[in-house]
Amino acid sequence: MLQFLIRRLSGAVVIMFLIGAFTFFLFYTIPQDFAQLACGKNCSPENIAVIRENLGLDKPITTQFWEFMVGIVSGRDFPQGHCSAPCLGVSFDSGEFVWDSIMDRFPLTLSLTVGGLVIFLLFGLGTGLLAAWKRGTAVDKVVSGASMVLSSFQIYFLGPIVLSLLVYQTGWLENPKEASITDDPAGWFMGLLIPWIVMATIFTAQYTRMARSTMIEQLQEEHVRTARAKGMRQRYVFFRYAWRGSLIPIVTIIGMDLSALLSGAVVTEYTFDLAGIGRLAVTGSLTKDLPLTMGVMLFGAFFILILNIIVDLAYAYIDPRVRLA
Amino acid sequence: MKPIRKRTARAIVVAVAAGSLALTGCSNDSGKNNSKDDSKSKEDAKAQSNPVAYGDAQASNGPAEAVPGAKSGGVINVYQQSDLTHMDPGQIYVSDAGQFANLIHRGLTNFQEDDKGNLTVVGDIATDSGKSSDGGKTWTYTLKDGVKDEDGNVITSADIRHTIERLYSKVIFDGPTFVQNWLSGSDYRKALPDGPYKGKHLPDSVLETPDDKTVVFHFKSPQPDLPQALAMAGYAIVPEKQDTKEKYDKAPAALGPYKISEYKAGKTLKLVRNEQWDEKTDPVRHQYVDGYNFSNTIDQESQTKRLIADQGEAKNAIQFTDSVAPTQMSTVVGNPATKKRTIQGYQVYVWQLTFNLDSAKVKDKKIRDAISYAIPNQSMVQADGGRYGGEVAGGLLAPTLPGFDPKYDPFGKLKKPNGDPAKAKELLEEAGFKKGTKLSYAYSNTPRGQAQMVIIKNALNKLGFDVQAKEIDRATFYEQVGKLKNPYDLYMTGWGQDWPSPSTVITPVYDGTQVADGSSNYSHIDDAQVNSLIQKALKQEPEEAATTWEQAHHRIVEEINPAVPVYYSKQMQLFGSNIGGARFSTESSYIDINDLFLKQP
Repeated sequence: MLQFLIRRLSGAVVIMFLIGAFTFFLFYTIPQDFAQLACGKNCSPENIAVIRENLGLDKPITTQFWEFMVGIVSGRDFPQGHCSAPCLGVSFDSGEFVWDSIMDRFPLTLSLTVGGLVIFLLFGLGTGLLAAWKRGTAVDKVVSGASMVLSSFQIYFLGPIVLSLLVYQTGWLENPKEASITDDPAGWFMGLLIPWIVMATIFTAQYTRMARSTMIEQLQEEHVRTARAKGMRQRYVFFRYAWRGSLIPIVTIIGMDLSALLSGAVVTEYTFDLAGIGRLAVTGSLTKDLPLTMGVMLFGAFFILILNIIVDLAYAYIDPRVRLA
Repeated sequence: MKPIRKRTARAIVVAVAAGSLALTGCSNDSGKNNSKDDSKSKEDAKAQSNPVAYGDAQASNGPAEAVPGAKSGGVINVYQQSDLTHMDPGQIYVSDAGQFANLIHRGLTNFQEDDKGNLTVVGDIATDSGKSSDGGKTWTYTLKDGVKDEDGNVITSADIRHTIERLYSKVIFDGPTFVQNWLSGSDYRKALPDGPYKGKHLPDSVLETPDDKTVVFHFKSPQPDLPQALAMAGYAIVPEKQDTKEKYDKAPAALGPYKISEYKAGKTLKLVRNEQWDEKTDPVRHQYVDGYNFSNTIDQESQTKRLIADQGEAKNAIQFTDSVAPTQMSTVVGNPATKKRTIQGYQVYVWQLTFNLDSAKVKDKKIRDAISYAIPNQSMVQADGGRYGGEVAGGLLAPTLPGFDPKYDPFGKLKKPNGDPAKAKELLEEAGFKKGTKLSYAYSNTPRGQAQMVIIKNALNKLGFDVQAKEIDRATFYEQVGKLKNPYDLYMTGWGQDWPSPSTVITPVYDGTQVADGSSNYSHIDDAQVNSLIQKALKQEPEEAATTWEQAHHRIVEEINPAVPVYYSKQMQLFGSNIGGARFSTESSYIDINDLFLKQP
């Protein structure tokens, strides 16, 4: 196990370095002068030179990359002050330390992800299991039909409808907003309720379909049939044998969805005027803000790699036949 | 003031808006509905184009005239699409930050606006709008008593010196440069490369502070516009003790009625009362509400929907520098109760179809004139919100400029707002035009830019051109068309005044001495007569200069034609039902931020 973890974590560090290098040098293939982009109305050659110096763009590209990478490990000094490790540089656009910006946005992204996850796992897996249990009945048909329809919806379509109904037309709920879970737990819950509902509706439908199909598949496996033949209770067979077997594909998808959501739920954030990691990523990309884009990319890559490792560990727990060697 | 240059362009919004169209029935302002047309007309522009007056000591005394019915207390919610570009006054040049500056910063002078929109330059922290001598080359300002920063430090002439001198340093790269250029020439940075930060100062022959209360500017040539230039947010005061250089852009010290209590970049900004602000020293601002809460992530579509619904916190909300979303315009103007909660007026911008005069394809003036006649201006307006978003332009000077002539219309667009293709074809024939001539048209990849591209392409293709549309990322549009050797023949550009004087439009955009990479002379016009008229006008007093500017304007439009006047930009903003004192500001072209209060705090 320890050997497995060391090997995977070492690999993750190498992959993150490669992602950083790829992003950094890819950015410089764009035929644009970042100093000119940051330059305002009085874009004189003198002002561009000043910006270039302020942003460190007057140095060779390799030096800039090396300084960026060293900053992640040991921190860096900027005119704005000392940027402690892990320093992801200073945003060209806002002048903020990128790490600070990410940390400022992360609570919202985490809240969106965790809240949504709880709802769509509970309802998605619950209804999926119910449909599989009641396979062929009216319950199965209703659940399957509804999940088919709902999974074809998109957040940018469903979101404005829900906002219109619950906020603009009736005033039952306030517009979505971010509040601190520690300072204002009620505000935090109510502020994210609509995004959770919308996000969970779409994800729930997907998990319902997946849980139903994998359970039905598992219920037809030979070891399940054997368990039934041995006279075990239907409920015991369902949860102890079939459910455990169906978990591997579900855990894989949860890992992928979780890493995607933690890297930024872009459409959800824009639909509900929220500012999380996703908005930061879009801003960095549209404003050609290299440090911000690098920072968000590496942050997202970190979650993808870590969750991959966790999913692999989960496989071994769920199915003892899987070895971690 | 380069317009509509949002720092954060939002492609994602298109997707969100696509969803919202389903709810709004794809409504837009077609200009054909039955609601009464009470959009601002050029006749209404008179109030916005009156000459600016200069206030004496009495006009510069505080407090500002009380707003009828104003109450104290409560917090106003501010909706914004994106973060403020800057908060350090020296870096502020664009409208969102300029509007914000009125809440927390103060300068030597400021614009005072009466209820009809007439402007007077008054002393802000100075006792008057300035006393000139030596034929306008020397300007003297005396500071008022009792002006303090948010920590209670008294503002002295040393702070004014510091404010001006720091603009020479590398800390500042994005603000206006008028005063620096006037004081030390175009390479002003060489006069004080490190600003005041290493103990060096400008000589007294340039900037003099004989005592704690007096500041004297010495220019090489007369600068009659100095009081207006100093009213720009870019010249607001940065107290020497508070200056944190690069960090100041995120945490500036306030002199105005509000100060920053919390700022989260790209998200939120909270302002609270600045207890050190004394209304007796301020002839312009009020401090009715307890504070402002900015949300900088709410797109234009969402702002409009929230304010139309007028539920909960939206009742106390305003649009700050964004306008009603074009897709919601008919909903807003079609509902009397909602429409009551709007303000509208002309913005300072003129949109123009600029010719690249270095391109051989548009070298012939008859070709340029033909294109000018052919452009369907009214359709271009429709693509930008209809009659509440713009109005067909006759010339290149906006209705917000003194001396604006609403009848000026050399291309006959008032009679034929959708162009005169017959006249255009006649001119092309005279020019020996070859059908199939390719024209490269650059446009920004905004929804408006894309819609207008189709209109221009259709109009010019009908004349026999073969228009090659070249899409440019909105974030780099002005960078691309601002290159001296750009590969395009035509592009839509916009420009607005820095203060109500043609000097801040004609000089930066049509002065041939300014042709350079990155310059705002996008057409590369370099006409000796225009250049000479500009130099003449810059040295004249405003009343006398008005005639010279008019001559220059006529010469540019009629005899050179570097850009087709397309439309004057207009603004309509919404506010919540609990907002009092809302009115359109001639000076900012947005809601007047100085007079707002909550009806029920």
